[in-house]
Amino acid sequence: MTPADSTGRRLARLWGVVLLIALGVFVWQVRDGLPTDTRLTALLPPDRQSPLIERAGEQLGQPFADRFVLLVSAPDLGDAAGALAEALGAADDGQLVARLDWRDVDLADADPRESLDRYRYRLLPPALRETIHTDGGTSLVQPALERLFSPTASPQPVADPFGLLDRWLAARDDSPVTPWHGLLTVRGDDGTRHALLIGQLAANPYSLPAQQALTETLAAFESAHPEASLLHSGLIFHAAAGARQARHEITTIGLGAFVGLIAILLAVFRSPRTLVSLLLPLGCGLLVALPLTLALFGRLHLMTLAFGASLIGVAIDYALHLQCDRAIQGRAFRLRALLPGLTLGLVSSLAAYLAQALTPLPGLRQMAVFAAAGLAGAWLTVVLWLPRLRLPAHPATARIAERLWRLTTPRISRSRGVAVIAVGLSLALLGLIAARLTVDDSLHLLNPSSAERLAEERQVQHLLGSDTGSHFLLVTAPDEPALLSRLAALGDALDAAIADGLSIGYDDLADRVPPPAVQDANLAAVTTLYGEPLATLVERAGLPERVVREARARLDGVPRLDVASWLAMPAGQGDRRLWLGRVAQHGSDTLAATLVLTGLDTPAEVARIEAIAHAREGTIYVDRVARLSGLLGELRRHIAVWVGVALAALTLLLVWRYRWRAWRVVAPPLGALLGVLAVFAALGIPLNVFSQLGLLLVLGIGLDAGIFSAEHGRRPATWLAISLSTLTSVLAFGLLAFSATPALHYLGLTCLIGLTLVWLLVPWVRPDPTPAKESAHGNDHP
Amino acid sequence: MIADAAALPRLTLRSAPNRLRGFLAGRIASATDKETVMRLLILLSLLWAMPALAFDLDDLQHRLAATPDLQGRFVQQRHLADLDTDLTSRGRFRYQRDTRVVWILEQPVEDRMVFTPEDAGRLSEADGERGNDDRRRQQAATLLMNLLDGDWQALETRFAITLDGDAEAWQATLEPRQDALRRYLSRIRLAGGRYVERLAMHAANGDVLTVRFSDQRPLDDAR
Repeated sequence: MTPADSTGRRLARLWGVVLLIALGVFVWQVRDGLPTDTRLTALLPPDRQSPLIERAGEQLGQPFADRFVLLVSAPDLGDAAGALAEALGAADDGQLVARLDWRDVDLADADPRESLDRYRYRLLPPALRETIHTDGGTSLVQPALERLFSPTASPQPVADPFGLLDRWLAARDDSPVTPWHGLLTVRGDDGTRHALLIGQLAANPYSLPAQQALTETLAAFESAHPEASLLHSGLIFHAAAGARQARHEITTIGLGAFVGLIAILLAVFRSPRTLVSLLLPLGCGLLVALPLTLALFGRLHLMTLAFGASLIGVAIDYALHLQCDRAIQGRAFRLRALLPGLTLGLVSSLAAYLAQALTPLPGLRQMAVFAAAGLAGAWLTVVLWLPRLRLPAHPATARIAERLWRLTTPRISRSRGVAVIAVGLSLALLGLIAARLTVDDSLHLLNPSSAERLAEERQVQHLLGSDTGSHFLLVTAPDEPALLSRLAALGDALDAAIADGLSIGYDDLADRVPPPAVQDANLAAVTTLYGEPLATLVERAGLPERVVREARARLDGVPRLDVASWLAMPAGQGDRRLWLGRVAQHGSDTLAATLVLTGLDTPAEVARIEAIAHAREGTIYVDRVARLSGLLGELRRHIAVWVGVALAALTLLLVWRYRWRAWRVVAPPLGALLGVLAVFAALGIPLNVFSQLGLLLVLGIGLDAGIFSAEHGRRPATWLAISLSTLTSVLAFGLLAFSATPALHYLGLTCLIGLTLVWLLVPWVRPDPTPAKESAHGNDHP
Repeated sequence: MIADAAALPRLTLRSAPNRLRGFLAGRIASATDKETVMRLLILLSLLWAMPALAFDLDDLQHRLAATPDLQGRFVQQRHLADLDTDLTSRGRFRYQRDTRVVWILEQPVEDRMVFTPEDAGRLSEADGERGNDDRRRQQAATLLMNLLDGDWQALETRFAITLDGDAEAWQATLEPRQDALRRYLSRIRLAGGRYVERLAMHAANGDVLTVRFSDQRPLDDAR
């Protein structure tokens, strides 16, 4: 044994060096913080169309991440809004908000009349252009005269005697926000007036200090002003609620699970050192997985971290089997006896995860690499290090194993009858699943916000008349005039549909920057208006003759308003979200912009929009929520297919090793799988990507249990290890079923049901405990 | 909480603030100077109603409660700085407390403008010119209400107000406090005795709007 022992020692040392290097690499990788990725779409493969859609969606959503909106209603609105604004400004020593807009003058620093000055003769509301067409503009003289003499107007007889720019701006005015008593206000459906406060966060909405400062400031305001009521909108409120929920769940579910886990392991092994030795492989697994994933993918997706870390939970199996065996065998313990089982367990899990690495989905590949690397690291630690650690073996462990064995061995003899019943039951469950199981890929699974908060969000958006940016038309064209023409034509088509009863709204860049042809037609109409009608106006108003000359002179060399100039103006800032600019598509350069739709609620409305988009070149309709849900569905189907393939391959491998006894290995995981799906089908719980990731965990732990049961089924130590493995996993993941976050809830529910079923099934598929066959090495098969 | 960053913004957050900054900015900017003129008109109507005895804003506020309805004549002169020209117009006005200010232009064109508080907007009979002017009209009218209620605090948040002279010949100067307003308006002057007799609004571009009031008397019962 001496050469083998020295080889083992050398390997253990080498493994220590590898881990040290991994630690060094990881520390270097995270020197600027852990590079993480939260984009759901980063999990999915890029295709030709989606980068543009992706960018459009990001651009429409991004500006709102760092802003928040508050609507205050109170008997004395000015007082309440003023107090709230003051409190927000002072919050966190003035570090919370970078900018707060709540007085009418706060938004008054961007007068579009200054920047649009030279372009105004090319900008006319379509109705006005029609009027000039019809009567040459004579009907515009009287309103212009009234304007000149109204005490409320500020006429510019030379620059704009007919006040065309004011009319154009007024025609574009669809905001429900009105200045009132120096405040910005909106009216509720019931006529209540709300003061509007728009805050620009100085920090990231996920920053906990910022969330805390904002929450505390608002709470203080609400207790000081019980008469005022507040409506919130903004990512930071959702993020704060999510963080609060997570904290709450960590202190209840998480702490409960942790305490339970430690208590059980201590009760069984009666040694803190053994406890540490069980957790050591997990830590080492992570130490291998993290730097490797970062090196291969550059950044870590949060989904990978969440699920990958839990998949490594399978790794505790190896340590449990080794420690249970050692605690009971004492000096008779030999690693060699366990090695086939441990190896097969690793191979089966690696196969399941690496199958996913072959998928075209980058996110799934990353999860697979992370889990596989973690498992391999944990396994190596178990095999190379754990046998060398001197650990106490408490006699209680053996006693517990014996008692558990006696209590859970089925009393009914496993006759042909039981097998027939089992097969019949399986077929019935399969039928139930086929008939009743539904799937759900909707995006709300990723959204931890409560229904009330989402309703409040919608109410604020409704009051502000704003859009979600989640339904839009993506329009492309080879050059700017063509793109603007397409947008304008699309706007006309939508106007026609709206006039025809379609109740939607839209936000179109071509409303602000008309296509060049329209701008030219506008200038021609203004030239007509500046003929006879201008002369009449000047004469009737008693203005000097030179006003006519000077006004006409301004029509020479009027520049066309282009998109770049408009977006550069303060007034055009709000439209930057709609402009995608030059993009590469189908190998050529093209220009792209979005037209955002609002109030699209029913499938009939969507169908109508799709028809309008379909009839037009370079126009596609995008429903971002539906698209992301579709991506989630795609992820779910890919996982299902590849896990199926991996299972089939594994079954072949198991049949090769165990021949007809392979059913003993696959029965617990497959039975649990069947059971979970049947419970879901019976209760009407839809299957989603998260429950499916839970099934993956059930499969991994179930397979390990099946393999160990087949390898060393007659030993109480093995059964104790299997029981501990399922119990710890139920505690770690199954309790997530009580989480209020949908994703975690479904993962946990699946684990809870599935792992319980694994545990219940294993005693029924154990090899017969006939003394004749009792042997620690009953596994020396070809 | 895993991927809410990815799911939330586009799921729930709308573009209000962003859109606000664009167009609303313009609307409010263009409304501001008009509104300021209206503010004046209104301030005016409030001062008409006030026997100009008190030079303390609090006193003034008290007297407002007893403001009678007024009518009279006006001459409005708009000096256009860049043309160095004056546009002059004449007419009558009627002021009904809590209800409306009617501005009846007689020369050189005939026109009738009615300013009502927002909530009474539906009551307005001469509401011919709706539509684009709604926002401006409502703002002005809402301000009217504000001022008729004697809300000097609201005016003082925007203007530094100084009051000089005595009850028989007084003069008030209002200077904008905020830069945004000062870009349109440099100052407002009001002068009068028993009633307001003269109003001058100096725009930042050099234009001056001057209104002189005459023949002021309580409104006939036959409205």
